[in-house]
Amino acid sequence: MNKLWMEKRNIALLIAPGLVFILGLILLPTAVALYLSFTNYDGVDYHSVGISNYAEIFFHDPIFWKSLRNAVLLGIAFIALQHPLAIFMAILTTYTGKWERPLRIIIFIPSIISTFVTSQMWVSLLNVQFGLLNRMLTAVGLSSWKQDWLGNPDIAIYSIIFVAMWQGFGYAYLLYYAGIKGIPSELYEAAIVDGASKWRYNKSIVLPLLSPVIRINFVLAIVSGFKQMETVFLMTGGGPANSTQFLGTYLYSKAFRDGMFGYGNAISILFIIFCLVVTLIMNRLLKKDIGEF
Amino acid sequence: MGTTTKLSARLSRMVLFLGLAVVVILQIFPLVWMINFSLLKSGDFFGDALLKWPDSFQWVNYKNAFTLGHVPAYLLNSAIVAVVVIVVTVIVSLMLSYVIARIDWKWNVYLSGLVMVCLIVPIYSTLLPNFFIFNKIHLIDNYFSLILPNIAFLIPLSVFIFIGFLQTTPRAIEEAAVIDGLSLIGVVFRIIMPISKPVIASVAVLAFLNTWNEFIMAITYINSDKYKTLPFSLIQFTGQYASNYGAQFAVMTLIALPSVILYMLFTDQITNSLTAGAVKG
Repeated sequence: MNKLWMEKRNIALLIAPGLVFILGLILLPTAVALYLSFTNYDGVDYHSVGISNYAEIFFHDPIFWKSLRNAVLLGIAFIALQHPLAIFMAILTTYTGKWERPLRIIIFIPSIISTFVTSQMWVSLLNVQFGLLNRMLTAVGLSSWKQDWLGNPDIAIYSIIFVAMWQGFGYAYLLYYAGIKGIPSELYEAAIVDGASKWRYNKSIVLPLLSPVIRINFVLAIVSGFKQMETVFLMTGGGPANSTQFLGTYLYSKAFRDGMFGYGNAISILFIIFCLVVTLIMNRLLKKDIGEF
Repeated sequence: MGTTTKLSARLSRMVLFLGLAVVVILQIFPLVWMINFSLLKSGDFFGDALLKWPDSFQWVNYKNAFTLGHVPAYLLNSAIVAVVVIVVTVIVSLMLSYVIARIDWKWNVYLSGLVMVCLIVPIYSTLLPNFFIFNKIHLIDNYFSLILPNIAFLIPLSVFIFIGFLQTTPRAIEEAAVIDGLSLIGVVFRIIMPISKPVIASVAVLAFLNTWNEFIMAITYINSDKYKTLPFSLIQFTGQYASNYGAQFAVMTLIALPSVILYMLFTDQITNSLTAGAVKG
C-alpha cells in the first residue's frame, strides 16, 4: 500500500507541469531581471554596469522614493479608511433581512468589473471640463471647489487613492462579510439571552472573533498598496510630474518611456523584495493567537 | 421614557440605513451612469443632467462599438486566451495541490514554500524580463505571451484554494481505489476531479476574471491586430474617435457585462473562491 502511494514517477508527473510554469514564468524571469538589473540594457544592446543601477536608485532617484511613499500612503488609506468602513458595512448588512443578498451583490459589483473599465469611467467622471464631479460642484454652487482632479500634481494622488479605494471596497467588504457569516449563530443567541445589546455583541464577540480575518486583510491591503499598478497606469500613467508613480508604473515608464530597461529591471527586483519583506513584517507584527471557535 | 428609547432606536436605525444607502449609491451609481451614457448621443455627455432618459435609444453606439472598436474579433481573442488559461490552470493546479495535500514525502515542505513565495511575487515585476525573454524566443505578439504568464501567476492561488478543499475531504475513497489498482494519476483524474467540481468552478471563475480583466501584459506584448484582446477595443477610441463618447461607453458596458452576468450566475462560488484564503487564515 505504502509503496503504491510512493510511486515516485507518478508524483513527478503530477508536479512537473506546475513546476515548469512556476520555474519558467516566475523564477526564470526573476533571475533574468536580476541579471539585466546589473546592465545598462536599452532595448537593443547591453553590457555590465555593476551595481550602478541600484546605487542610482537608492541615492539619486527621488521618484523611486516617491513611488514607495505613494504605495505606503495607499496602504494606510486602505487600512485607516476603507477597511473600517468595510467592516462596519459588513456588520450592518447582516441586519438588513431580505435586503442582505441584493446589498451584498450590489456592493461587490464594481470589484468584479475590469479595472480597465472602471478606471476609464473615473477618468470621465473626473474630467476637468465635462466631468460629472465638477459639474455637480457647479450645480450646487461650489464652483470654487472645482479642481483638475487628475492634472494637478498636489491633488492627483488623492484622486487615485480614492478611486483605488472605491474599486477595492467590494472585495474588502466581502472578506469581512464572509468572516462574520462564519461566526456560529449560537454565539449570537447566547449573547442575546445573556442580555447583551447588538452593539455589545458586535463589539465584544464579533470583532475579536473577526481579528484573524482583519489581520490577514490588513496584510493583503498593505501588499496591494505596493502592487498597485493598473488604476494608476490608466488614470495618470504616473503623472503629472511623476506625482502618482507607484513601483509598477515607474518600472514601466523607465523601460518603455525612457528606454532604460536595465534600470527598470532593477526596480522590478526591488519591487519583488519589497513585497516579500512587507508581507513578512506585516505577518510578524500582527501575529497573535486567537481562540478557536 | 419607553417612547423616547423607541424613538432614538428608530432614529439610529434610520441614520444607519441612510449611511448604508449612501455607500450603496456610491458603489453602483458610476456604473448606472456608464450604461446610461452608452445609450445617449455623444453630445449629451456635455449636458447638465446627471442621468438622462434617452430621447431615442442610441443603439447605434453599440453598432459603432462593434465596427470601430473591432469588438467581435477582440472578444474572440479574449475568449480564446481565457479558455486556455482556465483549463490549464485548473488541471495543473489540481495535480500539484494533490501531491502537496495528500502525499507524505520530504520535498513537500519546499514545494509548498515555493508556492507561498510565488503567491507574493507581483505579476508586473516579470513584465520587463518576460518582454526580454519572449522577444528572444519569439513568443512575443501571440496568444502564448498572454496565456503563459497568466497561468503561472494563477497557479499559486489556485493550489492554495485546492489544498484548502482537499484537507476537508476524507481519504477513504482514494485508498479504496488504490487498493483496487488505480494509479496515482488515475486517482487525481477519476476520483478527485469529480468530487472537486464546486471548488473547480470557483478556481475557474477566478481564472476567468483575472484573465478577462488583464490588460497591462496585453498592451505590452501584443502589437498585431490579429491577437488583440478586448481592452484594445477601448484604446481604439483614444485617437480619431476620441469624441465618440457614446461608443466608448458602449464598449465599456460590453466589456463589463460578461463579468457581471457571470457574477450574478455564480455569486456563491465567486464569494467562496475570493474569500477562501483570506477568511480561513
